[in-house]
Amino acid sequence: MTGSGAAAGAVRDLDEFRAAVRQWCREHAPADWRRAQTDVPEEEFVAFQKAWFQELRRAGFAVPHWPREWGGGMPVAEQIVLHQELAVHDAPRLVLAFVAIHHAAATLLAAGSDEQRRRHLPAILDGEIWAQGFSEPGAGSDLAALRTTARRRGDAYIVDGQKVWASGAAHADRCLLLARTDPDAPKRDGISYFLLDMSAPGIDVRPIRQATGESHFCEIFLEGVVVPESDLVGRENDGWRTAQETLGAERGMTMLELAERLGNAGFRWLVETCTRRGPTGARPLDDSLVADRLAALETELTGLRALCRDLVERHDAGTARPADASIVKLYYSELLQRTTDFGAEVAGPAAHAELRKPLSSGWESGAWALDFIGSWEWTIPGGTSEIQRTIIGERGLGLPREPRTAR
Amino acid sequence: MDTARTDTASTGTAGMDIDLSEEAAEYGRQALRAFEAAGGDELVRAAEREPKRRGALVAPVLDGLGAWDLDPRGDAAELEAAAALCRGAGYWAVPFPVAERLSRPTDLDADGLLVVDGAHPAGAVEGLDLRWIAVTLDGRRSVAVARSPDAPPRTSAFVTGLGLRPVDGDGARDAALGLVLPCWTLLGMLDRAMKLTREHVLVREQFGQPLARFQGVRFQLAEAEVERSGVEVLAKYALWSVQSRRDEALDDALALRLAAVEAAEAVFRIAHQLHGALGFCDEAALSWLSRYSQPLRRLPLGLSGTRERLTDRLERHGLTGPFGDLPARATP
Repeated sequence: MTGSGAAAGAVRDLDEFRAAVRQWCREHAPADWRRAQTDVPEEEFVAFQKAWFQELRRAGFAVPHWPREWGGGMPVAEQIVLHQELAVHDAPRLVLAFVAIHHAAATLLAAGSDEQRRRHLPAILDGEIWAQGFSEPGAGSDLAALRTTARRRGDAYIVDGQKVWASGAAHADRCLLLARTDPDAPKRDGISYFLLDMSAPGIDVRPIRQATGESHFCEIFLEGVVVPESDLVGRENDGWRTAQETLGAERGMTMLELAERLGNAGFRWLVETCTRRGPTGARPLDDSLVADRLAALETELTGLRALCRDLVERHDAGTARPADASIVKLYYSELLQRTTDFGAEVAGPAAHAELRKPLSSGWESGAWALDFIGSWEWTIPGGTSEIQRTIIGERGLGLPREPRTAR
Repeated sequence: MDTARTDTASTGTAGMDIDLSEEAAEYGRQALRAFEAAGGDELVRAAEREPKRRGALVAPVLDGLGAWDLDPRGDAAELEAAAALCRGAGYWAVPFPVAERLSRPTDLDADGLLVVDGAHPAGAVEGLDLRWIAVTLDGRRSVAVARSPDAPPRTSAFVTGLGLRPVDGDGARDAALGLVLPCWTLLGMLDRAMKLTREHVLVREQFGQPLARFQGVRFQLAEAEVERSGVEVLAKYALWSVQSRRDEALDDALALRLAAVEAAEAVFRIAHQLHGALGFCDEAALSWLSRYSQPLRRLPLGLSGTRERLTDRLERHGLTGPFGDLPARATP
């Protein structure tokens, strides 16, 4: 850095970018989507999500984190500004496309063939929806224990088994599927990674109703499903490594948006909730304990956002360390729980009458009681907090591996 | 707790034995079996499907147990039986305000008592044709009428707003009893959450062994059990304090409530974490238990509200506690 000129120029550019995003948000972010997307049928939610995706795509905002040649290429600093402004303007989140633009894209870019990339990355931009078929009834934290099989027959595989907790699978066109191709190999060595076509015969998707009243978790039953060889990602029996490499990093990358949402929408609503006068005319914020808690949460949020930014920059520079993503995921999920817990507490019993949450909203919607209950699930998927702590201990701190009876 | 025996200023004679009598404990066991026979976990599911039948679903079993013949205010043994009954109702998340019915005032014509606070009084009393008295922590009593609910029980957990018509200011003792018995219900829920989680980690295998073999899992469950057992002891103490008509019974009730709400957060957080995604699904009893624990944890006051009220009441004199009289005598 020879002088402040370049830095000042970059800041000026960033300010201009922010102004442009702001202007775009004012013109394009749907105004009353919260009301319009509350208590609507699933089809309306899907149509709304797809339309909003195309709106963002036209502006170049749908997949800013993708490489330039596929329609992305936005610098990290600008991505942060984009997510901040979308949050500040209370724009809907890309809930339905989440797995497609993050997990599926990361897999295709890191391990897919040119043909697979050409087939699916443009399709995702055109609205192809993806789900993730990893967990099974007997394989959660111990994912490598999965028992869904893919047996080779000619130039195809025949898949049989059951997947569970596949968020959004009811609307998915494609599914990232892990299945066992070599039953005799040690358990991590016999797994392959597929791009499952959800319209293939033999697939039955059943939604599971959750405590929040939603049913976005799904079970997927697979019976004699034919998967062409062209839908195998990477080499046969090499799926475990692909899943670890592509999704470990991705686990952290998705956090950039989530952290900015929490910081710029969730925290803002929390402050608003604290300034709303209660039945006695007093504001919770006038209580110094409440102010202290808010200050502590803001400090933590600032830390989270810095961690996320560092992770994304390291990912781009190829200097990410093996436990970085786990640290971010662990910290985000527990901070989300603390923040929504405090929101539910400050909002009081009245928050418990606010029990409808608009579809397309984030993990913090301002319906604090539901947000709090919803936040509990965050310490479970994508590696439970116990698994993240194990990764941080073993891969981050270099501690010996936990004794395990079966590998 | 024989070692804790001491004379107390307010009773003067009896001494303190906070364990429930064997009769009350046996009554509690009978209640557990009766609720199970009446449907167990299915009761709350049925009530959610058909909120109007909520009372009718549990009436036969509560009548069979002679629940409404109990005299918790007049008879110490029956107060203990009432507490044991509440605990059993909590264990099965029985979709009926058993504790609130049992705390009904005897000097007013009413079916039940609800402790309320603030400008938006509420209670989990939707869909019941019962006459309620509401009491504030400073003893102001009102006739309370349940408003029509604006959300289905799936989201409201039967909580609905109350319209109040003031009656008198004689409810100080009502408030203590009205806080303590629902904590026994919550205690029953914590008992069940622990049992469900213990069973789950014993059966659920990952990495070739039951989750219970992982120290990280065992430590979490142990922490939850420490919280639960703390509430159990405090619940007995606060019940004894109400039973003995001690002046500080309301302080003890608030202290119990604070501990119970804190423990519920810890126990349910850990129970959910160890259940994994299954714990959030309708298939899992834990999900129902956890949802229907919410009104008990939020009403009349949540964690910080309860803490504030307790702090205000205690000022600088602190809690009397089981050994409150001893230091004064020991001081020359």
